Parts: sequence; C-alpha cells; structure tokens
Amino acid sequence: MTIDWSWISGHTDDLTTLTLSHLQAALTAVLLGLIISLPLAVLAHRVRPLRGLLLGLSNVLFTIPSIAVFVLLLPVSGLTRTTTVIGLTIYTLVVLLRNTVEGLDSVPARTKEAAKAMGTRPLRTLLTVELPLALPVIMAGVRIATVMSISLVSVATYIGDGGLGQLFTDGFQRNFPTPVIVGVVLTLLLAVVADAALVALQYALTPWKRRRA
Amino acid sequence: MNRRNLLGALAGTAVAIPALSACSSGITSLEGQGSSSGGGGSSKGGLTIGTANFTENQVLGYLYAAVLQASGVKVTVRPNLGTREILIPALKGGDIDLLPEYQGALLHYLDPKATATEEGEMQNALTIALPAGLQVLPYGMAEDSDAFVVTRETARKYGLTSLADLKKQNGKLVIGAAPEVKKRQVGVIGLKDVYGVDFKEFKSLDSSGPLVKGALKKGDVDVANLFTTDTDIVANDWVVLTDPKNLIPGQHVVPLIADRKADSPVRKSLARLGNILTTAQLTELNRQVDKDKKDPEDVANTYAKQHGLA
Amino acid sequence: MYELLKNLGAWLTSGAQWAGSDGIAHRLAEHLQYSLLATLVATAIGLPLGLLIGHTGKGAFLAINLASFGRALPTVGLVVLVFLAGGLSMLPVYVALVALAVPAIVTNTYAGMTAVDPDVRDAARGQGMRGHQVLFQVELPLALPLIMTGLRLALIQVVATATIAAYVSFGGLGRYVFDGLAQRDLVQVLGGAVLVAAVAVALDLALSALQRFLFRHRTA
Repeated sequence: MTIDWSWISGHTDDLTTLTLSHLQAALTAVLLGLIISLPLAVLAHRVRPLRGLLLGLSNVLFTIPSIAVFVLLLPVSGLTRTTTVIGLTIYTLVVLLRNTVEGLDSVPARTKEAAKAMGTRPLRTLLTVELPLALPVIMAGVRIATVMSISLVSVATYIGDGGLGQLFTDGFQRNFPTPVIVGVVLTLLLAVVADAALVALQYALTPWKRRRA
Repeated sequence: MNRRNLLGALAGTAVAIPALSACSSGITSLEGQGSSSGGGGSSKGGLTIGTANFTENQVLGYLYAAVLQASGVKVTVRPNLGTREILIPALKGGDIDLLPEYQGALLHYLDPKATATEEGEMQNALTIALPAGLQVLPYGMAEDSDAFVVTRETARKYGLTSLADLKKQNGKLVIGAAPEVKKRQVGVIGLKDVYGVDFKEFKSLDSSGPLVKGALKKGDVDVANLFTTDTDIVANDWVVLTDPKNLIPGQHVVPLIADRKADSPVRKSLARLGNILTTAQLTELNRQVDKDKKDPEDVANTYAKQHGLA
Repeated sequence: MYELLKNLGAWLTSGAQWAGSDGIAHRLAEHLQYSLLATLVATAIGLPLGLLIGHTGKGAFLAINLASFGRALPTVGLVVLVFLAGGLSMLPVYVALVALAVPAIVTNTYAGMTAVDPDVRDAARGQGMRGHQVLFQVELPLALPLIMTGLRLALIQVVATATIAAYVSFGGLGRYVFDGLAQRDLVQVLGGAVLVAAVAVALDLALSALQRFLFRHRTA
C-alpha cells in the first residue's frame, strides 16, 4: 500500500475544505449538545425522578447505530448538513448530560447552603457557584464529546456529507488507499488539536484551579 | 488571556460556523465562476448537481457541471449521495436540482410495469411517469446498461450464454449486486418475472464496485450485476449474459432536472454534451478515474475543453 | 410516523422476516458473533494492558493519550484502509471494532487500579504478598467494578458499530440498515436499528447481572 504523494499535493485545497467542513459539523454538534444538555442536566440534578429517566433515555439513544440515525432523519431534513448535525448532537447528549449531572452532583452541599444563607437566589447560585465548580467535570465531558463527534462525522458520508469521510468512500470505490490514509490521519490530527484547544480553554476558564495548594 | 477574552473568542466561533457552512463540502466541489448570462432563466441563482454512488455518475455530474459553467450557470456538485432511491426524493425535496440518469432504469423506478424499450418511446413514457416538478431533458448518445455477468468458467460449467439459461440452475446460483437491485425490476424481480429465474441467495454488494467484482473473482457469487461501461468486464474476460426477452431496457444517459431550474441555457448546454459524448468516450473517462486515479472533475473538465464544450 | 411504527411492528413480527439466510434470526446470530468476538479480543488486549499500567504505574500518560487518540479513529476509514490493504474478509471489521473497544477497556481498568487505596496495597505488601499476589488478590478485585464499567461501555459501542460489517458485504443487523438505505426502505432501517439497540441493552443487562453475581459476597 503506497502513498501517492502527488495526489496529496494536488488536493490541498480540497483537503482544507473537507477538514473545515468536518470540524464545523463536529463543533456545531457539541455546541448544540451543550445548549440542550445544560438545562436537562439541571433538571435531572434537581428533580430526582427525572434523573433516571433522562440518563436512561440518553443511554438507549447511544445504542442506536449512527448510520441508522442519519438515514432515519432523511424524511425530516434530507441530504443536508442539518441531518449530519442533528445525528451527531444526539450522540453528544449522552456524554454531556451524564457529565454535567455528575459535575453538578460533585458540588458540595455545604457550598450551596452557604450561598443560600447569604441570600443568593437559586438561579444565581447555579450560574455563579454550581456551574463554575462543576466545570472541570463538564469540560471532561465536552472533550470526550468533541473527540467522539470528530470520529463520527465520517459516518455521514453514507448520506453524501461526512467531511473527511468522503475520502473513505472515494478511496473504497476506486481501490485507492491514499485518500483513505490522508482522511484517517487528518481526522486524528483534528481530534488532537481540538482536544488540546479544549484543555487550554478549561485552563483559562478555571483560574482558581491554578492557585497552588 | 483572561476569561472574558476567551468567551469572546468562543462566541466568535459560534458566529463563524454558519459562515463556514456556506462553502460547499464536496471533495472536488465546483464553486461557480462568473455571473449568470443565461438571459434571466431560472438557473440564475445557480443549481446543484447530485450524483449517485458510483464512478460514472460522478463523471457525468462533473461533465454537466463543466458545460453548464461554460454557459455561465453557477454550479455546485454534490458527489456520491447514494442510490436513485435516495436521490430522487432529494431532487423533489430541493436538496439537489439536477442529476445524471439512465432512461430505462429511471423509467422502471417510476413505473415498474413500463413496457417501452425504444429510446423515443421511453422518453415519452418518462414524461408521463415523472412526478410534477421534474422533467427529463433530451437523452444523450452515450449508453450504460445493466449487465448480468458470469466468469468464463461459470459460463462453461453451467452452459450459460443468456439470462434464459439461468432458469436451468434455479436455486443453485448466488447473485451479487447493489442492495437496491434486490427490489428492482431490472434486477431480481424482473429476472423472476421475465425469465423465471430463482437464485439460491442474493448478496448485497455494490454498484459495479470493488465488492461485487471482488466477489465474482473469488467465486463468492456466480452472477454479478455490473455496468456495460465497466472496463473490468473485458479485462477479466467475463461473459455478459444476453437478454433475448429485453428485460434490460436501453439505458441512454438522460438529465433529470427540477422544472424550477430547466431554462434555455441549461437545456442547450446539456443537449450539446449529449450529442457529443459517446459510450466509448464515457467508458474511457470512467477508466481514467478508476484505474489512473484521476479526479472525476479533472477528467470531465479536460474532456469538455477538448471537445469545445468549455 | 404512526405509519412507520405500524409497519415496524409488522416487520418485526412477520414469521417470514425471521426465517432464512437474510432472516432476523440469522442476522441476529451474526451480529452477536461479531460483537462478542471483537469484545473478547479487545478484552484480551486491553485488560492486561490496563492492569499492567495500573500495577506498575508506568506508561500511564502514554496509554491514556493513546486511548483518547484511539477514540478519535474513524471506524469507516479504518475498515476501508484494512480492506484496501488486505482484501475482502471480516478482518477489516474486527480490526475496527477491536480498535474501538480497547481504549474504553484500558482507561477504565487503569482508572479502577488507581482508585485502589494505596494503604490497602501497602498493607498487602506488608503482609509479605508478592507483586502478582497483590495484583490478583487485592488490586484486581477492588478494581473490578470500574473494569466492568469499561467492558460494558466497550460492548455497547461495539454492538452499535458492528453495523459497519454490512458496508463490506458481510451480515449482521447492519444488513438491514445499509440495504434499507440503498432501497430507501425506512421500515427496514428502523427495524435494524431497534434490533441493534435491543441487543446492546440486553447484553448490557446481562453484564450487569454478571457483575452483581461476581460481587454477591461483597455485601454479605
């Protein structure tokens, strides 16, 4: 299996476009996943009976093959980027919901009581005390969800999208390894870079963690 | 960097995302160049060509793109979207506007009981069978039929020369084809109806791609559904079974387009291409993509230039 | 939507749909075979690796990073790559499934091992236990809950992803998903998806029952 280097140098523009499109799908999904999972997680954290239901439901969603989700969305959103993003968002929910609930659980009850004793309103406590303290666990979830989404985007190649995944089906049909190798390498690179960026983001968002003990 | 700056940067990303999605995502996507000079036709806002999941359809899609761009139409190509069963709903739904089709196969998709076999008849039948909002443009010279193919050894062993001979081996042979062929008239259903053939098993593979050809070579399937423009048939000395009862209709390449985009520049440029492109040329273009690993887009553009189409 | 669910019911309960080489029963068996074999191989690789890293404390950084790297591997790309390198066989599918499962097993095993109280470990050593005795009699039993979590996670992912076998012409429940896509037969796609999810949930429940069985004397 040899690599055709001239193919790579002749396709830098296409590869850039595909990489950006790949990243865009994954990041949009994680962002949407966060927007959806945050209120759900707060609900699951506060209302005990809902907790098992929401977490259980998201676990079951996780067992459905991603390709099937994309296909089943076709009557709703067609052969579009929207289909890809909805499908990916569903998968991010599992990780994000669980981690956000766990993050909120990890906030010591005493801290919350202190905030309450100081007369802080519940919403304000949530935003200024609970969520910041839960951030490390939430960010761990965001990192997993991001890497997972980046790896999953390529499945959407079966519905004509899929960013770098298009290199896989193309290489497959033409018995041409180069695009496939390039696609795998770029996907991994994208995951590593995105993960590193999230680590940096977390570092910046949690200044109090940096204080030496 | 302080926290506020970072949050600002994040918000920036969120804004940048919709902007990014405006660029098309095909591996060799064509961004339109030049403004429309189509005389105020409805293709003025540009059109999107969708192609099916096999090489030739992508070559055709990029050929359409090349000639349309030459006449000033802004074009986006979305390659490798799937099967006809997926593409036609997408055409109706507006995800794509134009797609390279094949007369007989399209007719049988729309009307499984269709009996027309002659090109002109089929064109009329297509016009009747097509749902509102879609139309076929004049068909081209180039033709790519479905073929049911066996290896030389298999042909000898079972004495197979035509599709009618398959009946003698009912319940013994395995057929390999793309999954959709199981439910198609030009496929398992028609072979049963017209020739009375029953297979031992249907194996879901791909459209004249690596799976079905690999399986035929290895002997995993006895009969394979390939395209007549596939150069591997001759290269491997495979036998195309004849079709004495005309199950397989003529398969001239024909553009299927949404009414909303079918204006005069589009019709004219596609008709010119149809009148020039021959079956042999199309076969050669396919070979360049599959064997020489050239881009379908490059192959199509070169052809269009050489033949004065672009 | 109602129509789709009604047809799904008919699809799932039709006797003809269950029989034959393209029947649900056969596809179910294939799917189980792919998933269990892949998870078994992944366990054989990931468990010792995770135990070794946890026990010696060496190579943890590398292993954890490799594992998160592994999580980013695109399954479709891996399947195609191994297919192009080695031709048509089940190997590409197994390679991809094992690559998917190993990271979850390694990281959870390692996490389980690090969660073992160092005092307990020291006490065992102080009683004159040797390295392997500490590992198998003290650390492993204590790490088992997290190890089991890793196994369950890996198995669920493998079951959902084994669908990919159908892309390279093999069977399993993915056949319904890929064939249904090609034929735009959404009932078939939904049927395949529901069956995959059911298999995943059933296997997960079975493993959790096994886990409870393994720990039955812990609480006694």
